[in-house]
Amino acid sequence: MSNDVVLDVRDLKLHFRTRKGSVQAVDGVSFQLKRGRTLAVVGESGCGKTSLVKAIMRLLPRNIEVYSGEVYFNGVDVMKYSDEQFRKEIRWKKMAMVPQASMNSLNPVIRIADQIAEPLLLHNKDMTKEKAMERVAEVFSIVGLPLDFLQRYPFELSGGMRQRATIAMALVTNPELVVLDEPSSALDLLTQANLMNVLKRIKHEMGTTFILITHDIGTASELADEIAVMYAGEMVERCSAEYFYDDARHPYSNKLMASVPTLREDKELQFIPGQPPSLINPPTGCRFAERCHKRFKKCAEHPPVVDVGHGQRVQCWLYDEEGEVKHA
Amino acid sequence: MNKIRNFFEQLRSYPSAFAGLAVIVFMVCMAIYAIIAIPYNEAVRLWRGGDNVWLETPRNASPAWTNYFRKDKLPETIVLKTTEDPSLKTVVPLGGGVSVNDMVFTFDYHYDGFPSELSMFFTSTFKSARPNVSIKWITPDGREIRLTDMSIRNSESYRISQDNSVSRRVRGLAPEVGLFADPNDPSKVNKGTYKVVVEGLVFEEGSTLDGSLVVYGQVHGMAGTDHRRRDIGVALLWGTPVALSFGLLAAVGSSLTTMLLAAAAVWFGGWVDNVIRRINEIVMILPTLPILIMVGLFYSRSIWAILGVVILLGIFGSGILTYRSMFLQVKESGYIDAARAYGASSGRIILRYMIPKVIPVLIPQFVAQVPNYVFLEATLAVLGLGDPVLPTWGKLLNDAYTNGALFTGHYYWVLEPAVLLVITGLGFAMLGFALDRIFNPRLRGL
Amino acid sequence: MPKIQTATDRAVPAKRSTSGTFARIARYAFVRGGTLLITVVIGVYLAILIANGGGYVDQMRIGQVREKISLQIAGNEALRDMTMQERREYEQRLVDLEIQRLGLDQPFMVRSFRYLWNGLTLNLGSAEYMISDSGSRQVRYILGERLGPTLLLMATGQLLLFFSSVFFALFLSRRYGTVLDRIVVAMAPTSAAPAWFYGIFLILIFAALLGWLPFGGMVDAPPPQNPWLRALSVLKHMVLPVASIVISSIFYNSYYWRTFFLIYSSEDYVDMAKAKGLPSGAIERRYVLRPTLPTIVTSFALTLIGLWTGAIVLETVFGWPGIGRVTQTAINLYDTPVIVGTVVIYAYLLGLTVFLLDIVYAIVDPRVKLGGGDRRS
Repeated sequence: MSNDVVLDVRDLKLHFRTRKGSVQAVDGVSFQLKRGRTLAVVGESGCGKTSLVKAIMRLLPRNIEVYSGEVYFNGVDVMKYSDEQFRKEIRWKKMAMVPQASMNSLNPVIRIADQIAEPLLLHNKDMTKEKAMERVAEVFSIVGLPLDFLQRYPFELSGGMRQRATIAMALVTNPELVVLDEPSSALDLLTQANLMNVLKRIKHEMGTTFILITHDIGTASELADEIAVMYAGEMVERCSAEYFYDDARHPYSNKLMASVPTLREDKELQFIPGQPPSLINPPTGCRFAERCHKRFKKCAEHPPVVDVGHGQRVQCWLYDEEGEVKHA
Repeated sequence: MNKIRNFFEQLRSYPSAFAGLAVIVFMVCMAIYAIIAIPYNEAVRLWRGGDNVWLETPRNASPAWTNYFRKDKLPETIVLKTTEDPSLKTVVPLGGGVSVNDMVFTFDYHYDGFPSELSMFFTSTFKSARPNVSIKWITPDGREIRLTDMSIRNSESYRISQDNSVSRRVRGLAPEVGLFADPNDPSKVNKGTYKVVVEGLVFEEGSTLDGSLVVYGQVHGMAGTDHRRRDIGVALLWGTPVALSFGLLAAVGSSLTTMLLAAAAVWFGGWVDNVIRRINEIVMILPTLPILIMVGLFYSRSIWAILGVVILLGIFGSGILTYRSMFLQVKESGYIDAARAYGASSGRIILRYMIPKVIPVLIPQFVAQVPNYVFLEATLAVLGLGDPVLPTWGKLLNDAYTNGALFTGHYYWVLEPAVLLVITGLGFAMLGFALDRIFNPRLRGL
Repeated sequence: MPKIQTATDRAVPAKRSTSGTFARIARYAFVRGGTLLITVVIGVYLAILIANGGGYVDQMRIGQVREKISLQIAGNEALRDMTMQERREYEQRLVDLEIQRLGLDQPFMVRSFRYLWNGLTLNLGSAEYMISDSGSRQVRYILGERLGPTLLLMATGQLLLFFSSVFFALFLSRRYGTVLDRIVVAMAPTSAAPAWFYGIFLILIFAALLGWLPFGGMVDAPPPQNPWLRALSVLKHMVLPVASIVISSIFYNSYYWRTFFLIYSSEDYVDMAKAKGLPSGAIERRYVLRPTLPTIVTSFALTLIGLWTGAIVLETVFGWPGIGRVTQTAINLYDTPVIVGTVVIYAYLLGLTVFLLDIVYAIVDPRVKLGGGDRRS
């Protein structure tokens, strides 16, 4: 494995136990991510994107049923770490996150600067309060927040500012990987654009590896080097951004792209009929088969992941190693 | 219909709810039985006591079933009356209006403990000459001990236990002990058949003479007796409907009114809301119990008066804020605006939209409040301010406490009402808690 | 691309001035204190209205006036020569004058306000039968002397209850679903019974049956001379009543707050704390306990109010020489002035308790500390 690969996920599974049955939120996801690259994970609501984040960051709820797979961080399988080891060595030092709807991600009774400084003081024994505050001021500037907000409480900030503060918090320890879950879905368009600019700047200047979870392909395109598509708990397609927009292979990906309006083309927008399957008892065959306009008999079996060249991987019976498969 | 079935299914997962419900049902049955078996007037009469109501029960007796746990069996009360059993009396006319009325009271005594008291009661009718009696005591081993000679008025009580001359005749022991003691070992009871022979004479034609013998036991009934010989079971039984109705009425009364007021406050907003909030603050600071004490002392101790004041004080209590915030949530939601848009009247909106939302919270709250009121009534009674005529559990506790039950070892007097209070309280509280967990979505699964 | 400004380029601003915070809290305290004072005034006025509705307070006062005047007359040598009739007329005249002076013949409203003023300034008159420990007949002293023991008992019990409940609740929230957790949840309804109730059972077990602890009272009789031994004796007598206070509420409080903690530990910022790698102890303290502290403090107010009024019977059961016991004695003796005085004192006590809790709330909730937002929703 080359040194560039920061994250190598293999067959990651996360199932929850609920009253109605076992929800298979993340069902065997595998991918690799090179250092400094940004991976955008797109998909409909409920396809398991946020659960994927939770699985990678090991933020497990109380009703966990299955949590398995391998997660190689810089070549070491951190799934094998104990909780305590994970806490000390990985959390925030190596991996940080910016959760969805960061409105509520900040402790309402602690000042912002103190909260952001927390991981610094925690993971670094010889860090002093002064040095920590300097660093906090630094990240504040990076995300573009005025410094006199350092000593305020979260309720004194607007939504967009809180979002930026959360991003600052994620960057403060200079982690290698930052996962952002729908960073701009709760914000207005102008703030969204601002945010994307900030992220782009950080990416260029600090070389951080990002995983960006979003259902908004448009904004994803600004930042992403690679795109992964999730459907019903599985990663059905994975390829670099440049190929995705013109050459997406999976029927679902195609439909997704077809439903997004483009500025300069006159496009008839399409939609995908039906609903995603319930994650409680997912269908045994291809999970998209029911809504797929290209389905055929073989789709009743579960398709394997196929590498179709230049790093693009698809999970669909229409393709094998050579390319498109002709079927009867 | 589906909702109700759903509700019961959920209820099944909370065993405490079932236990609580079972207790409540049991209590309600007991209350109904109490009211039917002992109607109100009868209960008041029994509890007031008076001369002859509790004549034949011992004082401060433990419950009869405690004998199961004792090695030395304590006696139960033995009553023999000529009015009930005429065969005990023989009348032999001697001529000239004089007749011999002899009574023989025979009983077996097999207990290990001595009686608590011994008495005889006579009734007679005559014109001017009183009948005479001469009483003898015959032990199983044939000893005869003279008790007394006396003349009988219309009604005469002879308290053998307080007769010093009898005491002297049994070597200085108390009569109820000495008459039953084994002559060789006065600490042991002489078991066997005893006879009390009364040789009576009436001197006029048409005069009558009747008598009864009461050997007071040390145990009595299901619940024992108190210092005024009253069967505690009566108070325990009758305390049930009192406690239940007080608790339920107070809880329902104040919960409903509170909810309606909160609805009004939220709906009409503005100064109404403000006023109600201020009143709430004031009422919270009003010390409930001292005020109830004042009311009880200065005005009336009747349980209805107290109930009224309790409800009045409870209306603006803490519940109102909870309901208010719930109503606020509902009011801000979209469908209320929609209802106003189509022209629904305030009343309709309140009744059909806001209140049904709150009922799932109302029910557990009100159920959980019942024990508070039950104990409030008991508290007042313990302080001595309970309803003067009704026998209630709190009253029992008060009597027990004033008579030092804990010091004299009459634990049953304290435990029985206490246990009933606890069971009732727990029953409602358990049900209320389970209901709260079912209805409150945030608590589900916790 | 703009250059990242390092921290040395811009000075890090200092924390918001603490004197500013203090001023804000002081202002808040002032406002709340004022509101609560008004509330106490209205409460006491209501109490007086209730008390005097049947004219009892009036009777009380007139009775006192009469008594004072007869004593005066009886001790006055110069009046010895008067006849019975003359003396009675003289007495009546003096009484009428006095009544006029004290304004007791004025309309009900005016009288009520006078009593209100008296009550608020703790000028509570003289008792009819009772005498204070130091021999005074003044209700103010009768109650005042007994205030200390009540405060000692109540404060100890309440503080113990609060802290043990909070820590127990935190402990339980970490052990959700375990046997202990379920037991506590099942036992929560036991708090339906008031403290004095548990007191009876405790006395039964520990004093009557086992004889380990005393039946009641505050010190052994006779009290030991040595102050340390004396304190120890008081402590020994405090065990059962304080235990009653704690037992009567701890299960419900722990259950209620543990549920609270559980709900609040699913908040997003708690997840973030976990993601940041904070150890669970720190998460509990800073991310679960601290944000919920304001609500816990407010909910504790209700428990406290219940405990204060329950003190009456608790002290009676344990023979503890505090205000509650005085109230009980006053009830038995039908001593009106003392009872009315009790209500006033209780109104003040409750008002003070709520006030203190509000201050704690203000200190703990930054939204209040900085004067922003409406904390009461």
